[in-house]
Amino acid sequence: MKDSAKPATLRFYKERLLCVLVHIQEHLDEPLALQELARLACLAPHHFHHVFTGMLGESLGSHVRRLRLERAASRLKLTEMPVVQIAFEAAYETHEAFSRAFRKAFGLSPAQFRRRHGVGARIQIPSGVHYRHRKRPGSFRAAQIEDKTMNVTIKNLQPMRVAFMRHVGPYNEVGKTWEQFTMLLGKDGLLGSEPQFIGISHDDPAVTPPDKTRYDACVTVDEKFRANGEIGVQVIPGGDYAVLTHFGPYDKLGESYAKLLGQWLPRSGRRLRATPCLEIYFNTPENTEPEDLVTDIHAPLEPK
Amino acid sequence: MTAKLDLYKVHKAEYVAPKEPVLVRTKPARYLAISGQGAPGGTRFTACIGALYGAAFTIKMTRKFAGKQDYAVCKLEGQWFFDGDPAAVPKDQWKWKLMIRTPDFISQEDKTTAVDTLLKRGKSREVEEVTLETIDEGVCVQMLHVGPYEKENETVALMRSFAEANGLKLSGPHHEIYLSDPRRVPPERLKTIVRVPAVKQDS
Repeated sequence: MKDSAKPATLRFYKERLLCVLVHIQEHLDEPLALQELARLACLAPHHFHHVFTGMLGESLGSHVRRLRLERAASRLKLTEMPVVQIAFEAAYETHEAFSRAFRKAFGLSPAQFRRRHGVGARIQIPSGVHYRHRKRPGSFRAAQIEDKTMNVTIKNLQPMRVAFMRHVGPYNEVGKTWEQFTMLLGKDGLLGSEPQFIGISHDDPAVTPPDKTRYDACVTVDEKFRANGEIGVQVIPGGDYAVLTHFGPYDKLGESYAKLLGQWLPRSGRRLRATPCLEIYFNTPENTEPEDLVTDIHAPLEPK
Repeated sequence: MTAKLDLYKVHKAEYVAPKEPVLVRTKPARYLAISGQGAPGGTRFTACIGALYGAAFTIKMTRKFAGKQDYAVCKLEGQWFFDGDPAAVPKDQWKWKLMIRTPDFISQEDKTTAVDTLLKRGKSREVEEVTLETIDEGVCVQMLHVGPYEKENETVALMRSFAEANGLKLSGPHHEIYLSDPRRVPPERLKTIVRVPAVKQDS
């Protein structure tokens, strides 16, 4: 890889995300359309939230909530609009909920804030993206690689034939699917000599309702294995993958995804491929404390 | 559904492992095991690990499918057999027994059925070498070793002095319980429980 390739990809990802930020600010009153945002970012929807969170230092949901609060603060200062209406337009259903969120962000109630002089309507954020009345965001600071010891390797994987069971429901309940799936495979002698346990998440839990998020629990199998009942067969595409080992509980995987896709990737000179990310598990919560769990996160890359 | 049985939690006192030597009294325990000779990570060693896990998973899942008591498959353990100083023996001559602790209610029949299932699946012949056996280590000196396996001799030296200070001597074999996965955890962070049976000095 040439060094000159690195800033070019950083510029590419920053430009794409800037289009997304402009779109968000122009549609603050509408529900988020993930497909549209992902299209503007030139990213697959299942990659979008990791890149966004990693580069902006906040999730899409937090970003929108923060901008709406900043807009509300600015309206309190600059207009005579009643607080109830401002609250409603900031997407809060009750005045109380709005006051609570507002106080948490600015340390003052909306009424106090309106009366007080010399307090800004911005909430501190490293990206430097804020709500500005009738002005589009012109740039942002992409998050730096915060963990200098982060060790990302690039691996070329062969396509993997896997048996899988689809889980539809909250991601924190995939354990139940694994229990059922490994029981059905294990009783037939299909676990043992280095089977690889792989997870594929198809949805963004920040956007897709928890009861609709999809996840595939996968185990590598040989050519002789046939799909049956609830167990399907798929081939996980081979090719280059950027690999980061995540040490610790599964509910913190999102942080590692954001570091890999939002901090490492833009500086890598590589582009993401649209196929899903993979998680390869080295141990199991069944006999391992959450802080000792080891997972390799694989992000698919376009060929060089 | 009955809660999943975790043998390490049930026998908590046997797995106490601070960073300095302690005495533990172990009861006879049942293991799935496979013995061999060769360098750790070598072909034979790797095939045996695969066979051992194959048997452990197949037995557990067959029972679970039949609605019987579920349990967690325990971590990999190993006994190492040396005549004299391990450093003097070439690695390809190291003798070991790889083990996975298994509940007492697992029978020879459970094991035989699992081996048949695995062979029918075309798994390698090593599965036929997996045994179900009871190991009784009695009183042991035990401690947690943090770091590369190559530095275990320092840990064992501490354990030996501790045994002597308590009127005991290490009688072996050297037993390791692998808490970390060496494929990903860096050597300096590897956690291993080291256990060595001990007897009275005058015995």
